Amino acid sequence: MKKLVSLLLAILMVLGLAPLALMEEPIAISLYYSDNATLPFRQDWPVIQQLEKQYNVKLNFEPIPMADYGTKAGLALSTGENTPDVMLYLSTGGAYASYALNGAIVPISDYAEWTPHFNARVEEMGLQQDVDLNRLSDGKLYFLPSLYDLPFYDGGLIMREDYLKAKGFEPPKTFDDFYNIMKAYKEDFPDSYPLTSIVGLRVVQRMTMPSFGVSVGRNTGTGTGTLSWNYDTNEYFAGAISDEYKAYITFMAKLHAEGLLDPELEQDNASTAKKLATGAAMAVYGYYDQIGGWEQASEIEGLKLNMYPPLEGPGGAHHQPKSKTGGGLLFPIGVSKRADFEQVVRKLDEVFYSEEAAKLWCFGVEGDSYTMDGDKVVYNDTILGSADGIYKYMQNAYGTGCAGLQNVWYLENELTKYDENYARINADVAAMDNAIQYTVPVPSFDDITAEDASLLQTTLLDAFNVWDDEFRTGKKSIETDWDAFVQDMKDKGIEKFLELYNAHKKL
Amino acid sequence: MNKKPRIKDNNLLLDALIWVIMIFVLVACVVPFLYIIAMSFSSSRAILNNRVSLWPVEFSTEAYRQVFAYPNFFNAYGNTLFYTFFGTLIALCMMLVFAYPLSKTRLKGQGIVMKLVVFSMFFGGGLVPNYLLISSLRMTGTVFAILLPFAINQFNLIILINFIRSIPEELEEAARIDGMNYFGILVRIIVPLSTAALATVGLYTAVFFWNDWFYSLIYLRSTQYPVMLLLRNIVNGTTMVGEAGGVGEKAFIAIAIKSAVIITSTLPIILLYPFLQKYFVKGMLIGAVKG
Repeated sequence: MKKLVSLLLAILMVLGLAPLALMEEPIAISLYYSDNATLPFRQDWPVIQQLEKQYNVKLNFEPIPMADYGTKAGLALSTGENTPDVMLYLSTGGAYASYALNGAIVPISDYAEWTPHFNARVEEMGLQQDVDLNRLSDGKLYFLPSLYDLPFYDGGLIMREDYLKAKGFEPPKTFDDFYNIMKAYKEDFPDSYPLTSIVGLRVVQRMTMPSFGVSVGRNTGTGTGTLSWNYDTNEYFAGAISDEYKAYITFMAKLHAEGLLDPELEQDNASTAKKLATGAAMAVYGYYDQIGGWEQASEIEGLKLNMYPPLEGPGGAHHQPKSKTGGGLLFPIGVSKRADFEQVVRKLDEVFYSEEAAKLWCFGVEGDSYTMDGDKVVYNDTILGSADGIYKYMQNAYGTGCAGLQNVWYLENELTKYDENYARINADVAAMDNAIQYTVPVPSFDDITAEDASLLQTTLLDAFNVWDDEFRTGKKSIETDWDAFVQDMKDKGIEKFLELYNAHKKL
Repeated sequence: MNKKPRIKDNNLLLDALIWVIMIFVLVACVVPFLYIIAMSFSSSRAILNNRVSLWPVEFSTEAYRQVFAYPNFFNAYGNTLFYTFFGTLIALCMMLVFAYPLSKTRLKGQGIVMKLVVFSMFFGGGLVPNYLLISSLRMTGTVFAILLPFAINQFNLIILINFIRSIPEELEEAARIDGMNYFGILVRIIVPLSTAALATVGLYTAVFFWNDWFYSLIYLRSTQYPVMLLLRNIVNGTTMVGEAGGVGEKAFIAIAIKSAVIITSTLPIILLYPFLQKYFVKGMLIGAVKG
């Protein structure tokens, strides 16, 4: 009898193990991830744990410091050695186009049938044209971009609301209103420089120039440095030597001359925080996320900051242009040699673009970070009570909302993680007339033209930056030196540069 | 009679000048360090409101608590200690066995090898060829990618060669007469007499391994990264231009945390200097002058 029971138990045990034996081994996938020091990556984030479980996959992340991500990824692609299966948060702009056209990157559009979830999201968001703009000169798409249904107004003019109220100012609508507010502040606090910036001048330029109908300088608009895009005629124009830029730099020079613009704009965020906290500045072009930290740091009683929609200038009221697609999944050619290449692509498509995964990346795990009350997402009490705010807390604790990991972004879903004020500002901006214009797609240059364009771009941008600085700070007169500036830019080939871009534009 | 006091006065004046300059240099070096220490133990609010100078305000160890809570911090610290200790040890062994024969001018081919050493000091292969070389040797992703390629530094090697040349040849001759072989001479005579040079070269090498972040970044996996890479990411890593600029621009790391990271990552190597200083100075002088 004992032996019979033992046998029975043994059979039951084997049968119990059978499902385990039948279960497929998880597919192991290696990924490069651009790691942000303010949001250090954790493999044990609930979102990642859940995705691995849900999709039977082992995601081996290689977090690489953000500042050096390009170096590491570029070296791996250019040598073809030690490449991961996929690199996150990359697009085929700049040198990556060259890697792609030289066969270092998988033309993922050749395998469109393996990415059904990506295709579905693109269709659902109506982004086919936006995605196609990322195709290279051979007509192929070399990465799966991140997708945004609507552009976010996550940064812009941030100003002391308490000062505006105390002095009876209405929220500014135009750059003239803004000037008057700053002028009043300067009179009240003569040692201050009312307008400062995070990181550097380029942020101010990027966020203010579009209202003057131009976008030039480092890290702005078209990415060319000295050309701008005419949204009416759909072509490039020489923005750096245009009347629009002249009007812009005249305004900036006035701010500088009257002590309204911080002369030390190239600074780290801590210096910006110091200036705002101590009242040395009252306005900044920065991001909504930063407001809480600045307010908490200040010892000025009642200091209250708020973000305002883009101000109106001679070119209308516009914020920096934004794309509905961003950096996404780039597959180094090595992965195509894997026997299970198709499964890898399909798995990544599921993990980053399926409807369920998109919810996970945005809200976290249902029942853990949130519950559903009808159609409404209700976050748990710890999240709601966090001093960091819902968005930041969830990023750190759950791994949601991380740029580079989340690849499907719905504005409505994201707004559930912010306060009502942020939702109101975004609604105001959405109601404005095309406040956030589209970014101009990078032209389809071949390798040789790309090099010519790059040489011209560097020469022109270097010279422009010097002139821009001298005009703004008054070392050169806009009135008397303007013609010399225009001639210098022409001598350095701005007309040829313009011709190259217009000949290869995608729109 | 009048000359003596004048010389004394001159000496006094010169001494005073030297003292003033040295105090100025000392202050210039120490004050920023004290400032960083003070900030690392102060509250963010006090720092941002310009209330911190050389003494902590609203004393807080929160910054250190947060630094220690960084994922991989202790792992990265351990990696750095490992690379520094074993990297220096391997480097000293390899440079010593290379420097000793090269110090003998009578050795055939010594001149050519020296020229090759000097040539490689000025002309490198470049990043991509080096990466391909390390990769083809299957060293990427292993600690050997850091420990071996940097084991011989030409500059340090030349210091060591010159130092060994300054040791009287007669000592070696006596040892050979007593039946000692070359390896024995190296271990029992050259090494004990070269402590000053070895300390100098060892310190240079240790500082190199302690500070390195770039080679670790390109050759190693994230779990093998040293603390300097983590430090760089925290202090400077939020700077990113281009498409992803917004992410970096939003990022804000408290000055207190940056200060705490700087202190925790530099203090150990700074503490090493006083213990090696006497050798360091001697080694520098002797190595620099061919004996």
